[in-house]
Amino acid sequence: MELAIGIILGCCALGAGMAMIAGIGPGIGEGNAVASACEAIGRQPESQGNVTTTMLMGCAIAETTGLYALVIAILLIFLAPGRFVNILVETMNNLK
Amino acid sequence: MAKLDKTVARETVYISVWVIILSVFMQAVFLAVGFWSIKVFFGNLLSACAAILNFLLMGITVQNALKKEEKDARQTMRFSQSMRMLMLFAAAGAGVLFFDPIAAVVPLFFPRVAVGFRPFIGKKTDSEAAATEKEQSKE
Repeated sequence: MELAIGIILGCCALGAGMAMIAGIGPGIGEGNAVASACEAIGRQPESQGNVTTTMLMGCAIAETTGLYALVIAILLIFLAPGRFVNILVETMNNLK
Repeated sequence: MAKLDKTVARETVYISVWVIILSVFMQAVFLAVGFWSIKVFFGNLLSACAAILNFLLMGITVQNALKKEEKDARQTMRFSQSMRMLMLFAAAGAGVLFFDPIAAVVPLFFPRVAVGFRPFIGKKTDSEAAATEKEQSKE
């Protein structure tokens, strides 16, 4: 029983860690977007306002992917272990 | 501390208004379904504040990064994104643990919804901003 609970907790933590791999992407994407925006503003300084607005919106969209991963990780760390252990205990009780 | 750029301030206000509207809508849905409690309210409040703060910090980082060299700007954004993700993890984690999980998680996506509505609502604002910029560049 304890081994099963340990495996459940370990798998939840592992899953949360793997989910957060998706958090790397938005950082790289936002970095590239801002670097390109720097270049664009360097060429045409008068377009700074438009470039900043478009880039802010783009960054907000890019970050959503990371947020999905974050939410999955949070649910796996804080909610899933309790639920899974409850299911396991109920199943074991029914089998008895 | 550097002064907040007008564009960043305008976009943050736009996102904040949408987050408030969608939060009220979510509270109404919880109330209609019969799941409303004070935990739902505080979970929503915490998460909505975190979402707005996240957007504001992103705007400030972008504003500062635009003044730097390309390589530095890239690194600044990556570092900022990691730190903001940690902040959101702490806020949403606290919301899930101490308040309602759904009410604590859903408002994190409200800025994305606000950006989705942008093409329908922001057209006039953008054209006004472009006209103002044109006038400023003429001067």
